[in-house]
Amino acid sequence: MRAPRSRTAVRGPYAKLVVSMCSAVLTAMLSSCSADLPVQRESQQADGHVLTGRYSIVCVIHGDGDYVYHDNDGSEYAADEKALAAVQQVAQRNPRADVFVFHQRPRSHVLFLFPLRDGDFYYYRDGKLVTELSYWRDQEQSRFDAEVELYRRFREDNLGEMMNVFLYCGHEIPEAGGVGYDASYPDRSFTVHDLAGRLEDFTRDSTRFDLVVLSTCFGGTPHTIGTLGPFARYIIASPDNLHLSYFDLHSLERLDVSVPGGDVLALAKQFAQHAFDRLTGDVQTAVSVAVYDVERTRDFVRSVRGMYDHALTTVSGETQASITTMEHCDCADIPAYVLPAINEGVDVFYRPARFGRLKHKQSHSGWECWRERAPRGAGSQITGGAGK
Amino acid sequence: MKGTNMRSRRIYGAIVMMCVLALTAFAGGKGELQKYFSNAAAKVKATDDPSEKRAILTNSFQTMSKALDMVQQSPSISKEDGVRIDLVKATLQEKQDELAGMNGYVRVPDAQLNAFSHYVVQDMEQADQMITISLVTLLLVIILIVLIV
Repeated sequence: MRAPRSRTAVRGPYAKLVVSMCSAVLTAMLSSCSADLPVQRESQQADGHVLTGRYSIVCVIHGDGDYVYHDNDGSEYAADEKALAAVQQVAQRNPRADVFVFHQRPRSHVLFLFPLRDGDFYYYRDGKLVTELSYWRDQEQSRFDAEVELYRRFREDNLGEMMNVFLYCGHEIPEAGGVGYDASYPDRSFTVHDLAGRLEDFTRDSTRFDLVVLSTCFGGTPHTIGTLGPFARYIIASPDNLHLSYFDLHSLERLDVSVPGGDVLALAKQFAQHAFDRLTGDVQTAVSVAVYDVERTRDFVRSVRGMYDHALTTVSGETQASITTMEHCDCADIPAYVLPAINEGVDVFYRPARFGRLKHKQSHSGWECWRERAPRGAGSQITGGAGK
Repeated sequence: MKGTNMRSRRIYGAIVMMCVLALTAFAGGKGELQKYFSNAAAKVKATDDPSEKRAILTNSFQTMSKALDMVQQSPSISKEDGVRIDLVKATLQEKQDELAGMNGYVRVPDAQLNAFSHYVVQDMEQADQMITISLVTLLLVIILIVLIV
């Protein structure tokens, strides 16, 4: 079969041109398969003297899944692309920051055969793009090996003197199971424990992140905060659903002006308030943004760990049964969770959905739990408030 | 002979149409399903007549439910997808109930129908049952919706 096709090509009027173009394309594609040559588009060097950054932002954007959403005019957006644009703007508007952006994209191929790199990395220093390159994400376990390696290659040594922020944009990070989180790697799992391990890798010299922002659904659970807590001083997360337009990132621009004294809690509250205002203006579903002071939430997390883990075991048990029997809810709706420490260390910005069963729910404790699915039917629109 | 030719053409045409629909659906993936509700919201917004707005929304819920029913009956659907489809159907039923003011829900006021249509779009985009339904099942739903409409 090969010979006739080859002869036909050679006999064609533009045979040499076609052959040389194919060779060039194949060479380019094959060289892109090489694992030891990750740099596709190498750097634009920031000109002039590089100032020592006082802020460091590491941002991971998960784009390997279903991330399409529509605005009120019906326009369609890819959430990961929008998040990338937003964080690049943050990077450009921080004259005293190192910003590391990792965009995890779906796996794709040229001509169904030749794989393309499925991660993009951007490194900004003092508002200027220093390096932009494509890389291979982990092909087996999701260990962020490539991301951690790139981070270590470019980061400055004086992390301890900087305000360190970690930002994750993506779908709800599973607390157990986690298989299928990456659409391109359906057998691979990713859980909040995996993310905690990666935070440990990013902060290997025992420097905790000052602020971790989880721009995901259901990030504000006792388990998630407890698992990520050892690697963060403050965490911003949404205990309920979070619209795919994500948290607004404008509060992270010009950190040198907005938090000159390095007041992380003030920054966190300002960020949460701004994100909340923006979401409530655009979204009809519930909006919840919470700031967790990790040290102060420790007692509550420890107190409810047994109960929560028990519920989580049910959720992660037999898949079918858990889908039908368990659902998310405000922890304050479960009497056993309503402990004196439930409000300790949590600042909550909450507005219920404009419609639906919970439209009259006036407050949220800031903690999301699991419970048996409530029966639907008559009188199901909740009229009372709960929690903080 | 002529009848046989006509039947062959129809079968061939149906296969071609299915392939085109499948390719379109595959290209858009789950976004196609979200677009379905987004298009319904655009139609709701485009009319000033509240009863017409309600009819558009009701019709969109019923069409989706019908497509889900048909897909659920397919032997190729996994048990897990079947369970998730049940949950999506329950969510759609709740929205229908709220629109009509049934089963304990307060009827959505006429002045809030545009906002309600946006709520439906956003809620379905966020629904974890929707996100976790397999792509193959969703493609079937999309194709059926196109055929039903």
